[in-house]
Amino acid sequence: MLGNRARDARRTERYLDGLMAADERRAAEVPTDVDIDPAVRSAARELRAGLTRVHPSFRFEESLAARLAAGAARLQAGLSVEEAPAPAAPGTVAPFRSRSTGAVDATLADADLEAAQPEPAAVAAAGEPAPAPSGQSPAIWTVAAFRRFPEMAARPSRPLIVGGVGVGVASAAIGAVYVAWRHSHPASGRMGRAVRAAHGRATRASRGRQTGVIDGILGVVS
Amino acid sequence: MSRPVFGRAEEGARPARLDRDRGLVEAARRDPSRFDALYRKYLAQVYSYAYYELRDHHAAEDASERVFMQALAGLPRFEERVDLFIPSRAPANAADSADVSTFRVWLFRIARNVIANERRRDRRRPVSSLEDAAELSAPGDVVDALAAREAAGAAWQAVSRLPEDRRRAVILRFVDEMSTAEIAAILDRSEGAVRVLLHRALRSVADDLRSQLS
Repeated sequence: MLGNRARDARRTERYLDGLMAADERRAAEVPTDVDIDPAVRSAARELRAGLTRVHPSFRFEESLAARLAAGAARLQAGLSVEEAPAPAAPGTVAPFRSRSTGAVDATLADADLEAAQPEPAAVAAAGEPAPAPSGQSPAIWTVAAFRRFPEMAARPSRPLIVGGVGVGVASAAIGAVYVAWRHSHPASGRMGRAVRAAHGRATRASRGRQTGVIDGILGVVS
Repeated sequence: MSRPVFGRAEEGARPARLDRDRGLVEAARRDPSRFDALYRKYLAQVYSYAYYELRDHHAAEDASERVFMQALAGLPRFEERVDLFIPSRAPANAADSADVSTFRVWLFRIARNVIANERRRDRRRPVSSLEDAAELSAPGDVVDALAAREAAGAAWQAVSRLPEDRRRAVILRFVDEMSTAEIAAILDRSEGAVRVLLHRALRSVADDLRSQLS
């Protein structure tokens, strides 16, 4: 014996089946049980109309298809579907020759350097010293390595790219400030006045546009 | 298309319909590159389910990708057993299971787990606004589009206020057009429980829509 709730739930299910089937065959009428709550019927129709299926972008579909194809190929090769993260490239960490290295070189006793002599095997194939063994200061070890292998020390040190960018930006900023200052403090000589007069006649038409830009710069500078 | 096969039961040959995706699944098992057909067939359904649950296109894309990757990796372990996934469609009345796809149920069980993990991880993510619902309807005639937008907005709003289990059942029923048996198998509930869930969900939506009108 079904309870009221279960009976209503079954009626609702039958109505939903009819609603979906009517949609499939594009029928306007849906077979309806007269006992079904009209509010439930109405809600079902609203949801049927409002909850549409969405499709991802074509680009995503194709890129995922390509990844699945690659995964399938790996599966056929006996590997896992997901690509394993690439292992870190083998290499050595080479300390920069810096002021601290130079200072160590100048102050270090030869005895200390003798104690820190690196073996040729410890030098990386790229000609750079490998990381200092535990218990040794990297700076002392680097100096010792450079003394042992002078051809390495003769090579130019690496440029400091970050510093170079900083200097470049600073130079550009100083230049902009100078141009703005020069514009706001025109030369008072005869030549300067003549140039301003000639330039003013020639470019009066475009002056309006430039003024806004220059004023903007001056506003920032002042 | 499901294929009738004849078992060797003692009481005589009885037609039993198998999974409608059986051919595609077998082909993909033999040659994993053939998985593409299953992927194309179910992408929109999985993506829609993820989108309605996560309410974000990017999250839905990530979830869809994980679902299909897991499905591809797990395909050799997939068992096509109607009784395993859909108890009410067990061999006793397997002739009725003409429209059953155990593969689809299996795929959506993966999707349910992936989405649950995603929601757990992004519990703090704010729920998207109702403007998203406007994107759901395809643009066509302006009046139709406007009506569809309003319908989508109202439906979205009502569904988003439902408790989680009712919302899932509604999405699987209305968006993915699944039967009660399939939803029960995906949500690990009995069919009776799913029927009641849907009925209650529709009652809640009806109340919600009525209050919106008033």
